[in-house]
Amino acid sequence: MKAPTVWRHVGRNLVTAWLVLSGLFLLTRGLTDATSYLQTALEADSRIQAAERSQLTRQLLHRAGLDLPLFYISFEPTQGWQWEGTANQYHAWAANLLQGRLGTSYRSSAPVSGLLLEALRYTLPLTVLAAVLSAMVSVGLATTLNGRYPAGRRALLYLLHALQAAPLFLLATGLLLLFANPDVLAWFPAFGLGLEEESATWWQAPGRLLYHLALPVGSLVLMSAPALTIQLDAALQHELRQPYVATARAKGAAPSQVVWRHALRNALLPTITLLTELLPNLVAGAVVVEVLFALPGMGRLLAEAAATQDYPVLLGGVTLVVLARVVAQLLADALYLRTDPRIRLQA
Amino acid sequence: MKQILFGLVLLVWAGLGLSACSPTTTATSAETIRIRWARDPDNLDPLLVDNPSAFEVTNLLHCSLLKGNEAQNRFVPWLAEAQPTTRPLGDSLLLVTYRLRPQATWDNGSPVLARDVAFTLKVMNCPGLPIERDQATFGFIRNIQLDAHDPRQFTLVCAGQSGDRVSISGDFSILPEYVLDPRGTLRTVPLPQLALPRFQSVAQAFARRYQALNLARHPERLPGCGAYTLTAWQPGRYLTLRRKARWWADSLPAPPPELQAFPPQLTYQVIPDATTATMALRRGEIDLYALMPAAEFARLQHASPDQTSLRFYTTNSYEFLTANFNVRRPALRDALTRQALTYLFDIPALIRATQQGAASPSAGPISPRIARYYNDSLPLPSFSPARAAALLRQARWQRQPDGSWQRQGAQATTERLQLTISYRAGEPSFETVALQFRSAALALGIPVQLHPTEQSLLSRQLRAGEYDMNIRQLAGNPFSYDFTSLLHSRGIGNGNTTGFSTPQTDRLIEAIPLATSPAEKARLLRKFQRALAYERPFSVLYFMRYRVAASRRLGVVPVMGLVPGYEASRIRLEKKPTTR
Repeated sequence: MKAPTVWRHVGRNLVTAWLVLSGLFLLTRGLTDATSYLQTALEADSRIQAAERSQLTRQLLHRAGLDLPLFYISFEPTQGWQWEGTANQYHAWAANLLQGRLGTSYRSSAPVSGLLLEALRYTLPLTVLAAVLSAMVSVGLATTLNGRYPAGRRALLYLLHALQAAPLFLLATGLLLLFANPDVLAWFPAFGLGLEEESATWWQAPGRLLYHLALPVGSLVLMSAPALTIQLDAALQHELRQPYVATARAKGAAPSQVVWRHALRNALLPTITLLTELLPNLVAGAVVVEVLFALPGMGRLLAEAAATQDYPVLLGGVTLVVLARVVAQLLADALYLRTDPRIRLQA
Repeated sequence: MKQILFGLVLLVWAGLGLSACSPTTTATSAETIRIRWARDPDNLDPLLVDNPSAFEVTNLLHCSLLKGNEAQNRFVPWLAEAQPTTRPLGDSLLLVTYRLRPQATWDNGSPVLARDVAFTLKVMNCPGLPIERDQATFGFIRNIQLDAHDPRQFTLVCAGQSGDRVSISGDFSILPEYVLDPRGTLRTVPLPQLALPRFQSVAQAFARRYQALNLARHPERLPGCGAYTLTAWQPGRYLTLRRKARWWADSLPAPPPELQAFPPQLTYQVIPDATTATMALRRGEIDLYALMPAAEFARLQHASPDQTSLRFYTTNSYEFLTANFNVRRPALRDALTRQALTYLFDIPALIRATQQGAASPSAGPISPRIARYYNDSLPLPSFSPARAAALLRQARWQRQPDGSWQRQGAQATTERLQLTISYRAGEPSFETVALQFRSAALALGIPVQLHPTEQSLLSRQLRAGEYDMNIRQLAGNPFSYDFTSLLHSRGIGNGNTTGFSTPQTDRLIEAIPLATSPAEKARLLRKFQRALAYERPFSVLYFMRYRVAASRRLGVVPVMGLVPGYEASRIRLEKKPTTR
């Protein structure tokens, strides 16, 4: 692939990402009430008098830069379209973003980039472990069923379809009630990553992390592995009917050899798309699992930011996810080229 | 592939084995009390705290001059030695004189003095710091006068002469000058002149130093004169407070409840999900779970293993659920229609459905537990569609052949009685109330549309008056009875979302905080409740009860009707019987 084609491809993805983020920025700020993030706290404080409350709201909006016009142009029914200049919220946000600054959280007054990094510390071990296990489980299951144990394929596919249909909150709550319940099996902790005073040595730390992440990771694997396995199984079935497989069999290759050495590489193409789709999910975290198992990761951060109208955090998180999606698309393209050299990218 | 899989299984197994073999508790666990939080404090800068978790921590790290005491229904001395004395100055100012407890000291052993209070007020007025909230709350404190002879005595010059202002004047954490301004750069700057240009450089330099501490995330850099120090905080996970080995209040011969601190260590675990928190409580991973959902609480109370390992507490709170009427709507502008619609709420059934029967109906916004001020001669609202129909007729509504209601409005227009009811989406109890009301109204021929709405959108609609009826939760307290933002004409467009006001209620709202004696306050509050019971800008459906479940390794938990529902510093560990 020629270099200009690659750059055009990357450029197009980045422009799309910018448009998505700009749209989200304008929608979140334009359609919602700028003061709503203040209201809960202000209404709960009976010490603040009515007269001071409106002045306080104005001052706090000014501090957050929310008293500026939203965009370069604005529309008033009485005055028509108006040019607002560069002193507007969009300009300030875009200028900061281009300099790598994601703003400051309304809730914690901390830089958004710091909050995202902190959340990724909890999310990445969880989601990466879940993604790796899901990929391994799906490849292992699909190849075994199509190679060595074809008899159990139908029954397992029923089970996988049933699992795929179950929502994540059901799977996660089910695991919690089964394996962290004193009435059933209390094998795993109900929440979190352990107590702060449990000092672990370096060789204990991975084990402890795995112990605490067992149920969250298990929930995510149960959610994502069935879809991957079903997809890979269907692709393998398709490939196993191809003439080149008959040739391999005629040459005396064992069923598992036929699958691993011949069919798998061709069957992986659609699965690559699914696997790279996992990348933005790795960064976005898993809201349900993080809330249920009390892990302060990206999913929970973004969900709480949305619930409390902490838009800088929400937009910062979405920026990261959109970038991960762009990288995922580029990665998928690269892997396609590597897996099947006949494929060509067109600008 | 197989080798990788085998390796991974081995790693997991080894990890689990090693974790299981290693000790999971340490010596500190036995004396640690673990409390569930639904939400992280987010921000622990004393100038910016604004959620219940943050207030709880701040009150354990720092002391204020006064503290709300639920049992006494008033603010009582905390860091102050006694209740402040007051003296009017002219017809608009009030002098409030405090003396600090002589025993009170900072962590470095130096005494807490009046100059620390003056310093705190200067921080709360320092340009360049995020002081907007403190300005709105404590801006009425115009100056502080230090006593020339007694370093612990001072007088606050306050604008306004209401009793509430006296209480609020002592309700801010006192900060240590020796930590934040060791060279005393603000000491020579008079409080009212802090914002003047000639002190700009001093104020700016101080603001820079203050912000460099990043107290929002590092509150341990600001040791207070409270009983606890912050030893660990992983935002979103846990926060640990350790009791000071030598705290100044320990030297008091009989410390009042405000100055008692029993737990050697408090750890707050952030567990957002209720099911997980319940499981953690049952497994002994947390010791106390407050503000528990009604269904979970009832289930645990009746589960036999939990009856032996847990204790259950309920207490009446000051939070209440209301159905608000937008009195600006033509159909809802008259009190009789609003009274009629109130008869369509089946409150006992709603309490059973949403609170498992554990809530108290009330005639108005004063909690029935405050017997002195609650107007018990008013009848509790009852469910009576027949009475509702009679009141609608009195309000000139006429039943049409198709069962609907109409009346002649202003300028010969026809008004139809049809309503929308909006509430925060995803809140089951609000939805139950709305559904019950719709069903009762429909049976009477009043069409009602439900509008579950996202919080920020709802907030905007309420303030803009774009709704007919609304279900919402309001919180009061037993210390302050200022209804200005909720029901006064000055609150319209802010807290007064119903748009209601009458000259009579405005006068009462203004008079209540100025009442000089409890008897006078009770008389005015009872009159106010009677006026509201007739006008019905909102109908109080019920006052909620707080539910607390706690491990039996804790002694009897001191529960209260104010958030967080318990007094953490007064929880004792159950004494173990000595074995020989």
